[in-house]
Amino acid sequence: MSPALRIARKEAGELVLGVRGQIWLAVTTAVLSGFSLLLVGSQELSLLDNAQVVYDMAGLVTALGALLAVIAGIDAIGGERERGSLLPLLLAPVPRGSILAGKLGGPVAAWGVMLALAAPYFWAVGSTGQNLVSGMVALLVLGTPVVLGFGFLGVALGAWMQSGRTALSVALTGLVLSASPLLLGPSLRQSAIGRMFDAVNPFSAALNGFDAVIIDSQGAFAQAGHAAVAVAWLALTAWAAAAAMRRVSR
Amino acid sequence: MSLIKIDHLKLSIGDAPVLRDISLEVAPGEVVGLLGPNGAGKTTTIAAALGLLRPQGGTVRLMGGDPWTGGAALRCRVGVLPDPNGFYDWMTAPDYLAFFADLHSATNDAAVIARRMDRVGLAPRRGQLIGTFSRGMRQRLGLARALIGDPHLLALDEPTNGLDPRGRREMHDLLLDFAEQGVGILLCSHILDDVERLCSRVCIIDGGRTVAQGALADLLAAQNSKMRFRLELAGPLPPGGAVAAHVRVLHLAADYAIVDVDAHVGPPEAWRELFFLGWPIVAIAPEGGGLEALYLALTGGAVPGVPVQERAA
Repeated sequence: MSPALRIARKEAGELVLGVRGQIWLAVTTAVLSGFSLLLVGSQELSLLDNAQVVYDMAGLVTALGALLAVIAGIDAIGGERERGSLLPLLLAPVPRGSILAGKLGGPVAAWGVMLALAAPYFWAVGSTGQNLVSGMVALLVLGTPVVLGFGFLGVALGAWMQSGRTALSVALTGLVLSASPLLLGPSLRQSAIGRMFDAVNPFSAALNGFDAVIIDSQGAFAQAGHAAVAVAWLALTAWAAAAAMRRVSR
Repeated sequence: MSLIKIDHLKLSIGDAPVLRDISLEVAPGEVVGLLGPNGAGKTTTIAAALGLLRPQGGTVRLMGGDPWTGGAALRCRVGVLPDPNGFYDWMTAPDYLAFFADLHSATNDAAVIARRMDRVGLAPRRGQLIGTFSRGMRQRLGLARALIGDPHLLALDEPTNGLDPRGRREMHDLLLDFAEQGVGILLCSHILDDVERLCSRVCIIDGGRTVAQGALADLLAAQNSKMRFRLELAGPLPPGGAVAAHVRVLHLAADYAIVDVDAHVGPPEAWRELFFLGWPIVAIAPEGGGLEALYLALTGGAVPGVPVQERAA
């Protein structure tokens, strides 16, 4: 097994099977359950178009995934440094690139588990409507680079900043800003500033892609523009993480 | 070929120069002590030697190669026990060692791991999570990790920290055993007794510079070429305060004096001269000596009772 895969397996095991991972999965399950119950049980929300419900669920899963990825990314470097367990890894005969690739194993595994966990909820709230399957494909295609990009961002911040807490505050601020399209109304997003923000914001790209696929019934693989923004985000954060990892010396 | 060879290493972190002129060498089968006060640059020197930091001046060679550009490959045959030394507390020790064996492309066979644990005295802890280990057990596990891949060089930062006296003795025996097998050991420690027991050579650094380097016996002999004594005095010195030719007064108080005596003269002759000159000596006791005195003299720490400007250089 290559060192990157070995590290990835360790990271995934720690995140998914460890106490923190179990707590996170329980929280995610509770949030998805609560959200689903609201969507099907609330008199007002149950009047929502079925496609709108799937769209909201896709946005929520992406946001939860990004939050988990950024925390896992920071912990993979900054957290390990604070626990003193990073240095032995840096001193192992493993190239930095392999360590970085391995460290992404945690966010990848967590995202995989989250997608699997979310699938039955999608079915529960969207099985009677349109575009459920294509919506889930869009979540996989557009949500994955956005979420993994946040994982890389977490790694970069964890490596760059000496304090895990500072890295976490910066990352959460960035995440809230980029996820703000979930909170902003459509009219605000259609203003000049809103459009500019949407054009470069990976989170917006994913949401607009979900919108196009789930609500407007466009093909999931026809969202090249949105996918390009998400992939550019992934590439940018991967580059930042690689640059930050080269500077880590303890 | 030297396992580590550092010549006139200079290194800054940010704008702050940390290493100004470090030279150090570790040969196979040699235990070299790296000594210096807190902040002298020991950890930074080790980090540069292992390729974690890029030097701004001088040369660093690890196993004959440049550790900055070829660090990962060169570190295959290097075992490191860093300080601080963290672990994955949720793993058991065998799982942890198997993980690092994989990273070293070494065998992670259960029998090999068990032998490794046995060697450092952790065999009874096989099923226990690392999170439950005491500090001494963690040090042993760190050493077991450092031994993965049958290293030619061990870089150990405070290896006996947290060990009980028996554990310390076992660690000494283990390290000497490795040195006998040809493993070079760079030992960073503040416990001078460990250094005196284990090291054939020492490198003392202070303020980012190597201030002394060489065989421990030679450095101690040079230090002891002036033997230091405390003389209790019954009263003031005679008028004029004459001093014998081979005696140097380092500190003079109302009721005692600290003096160095040239080794080739011998103390009895020096005392005779001082008595002849009228010194009211009532008691004589050796003052300091050994590696501690050498260390204090070279690293800016004052020898108790001796003015700083009089420190040996």
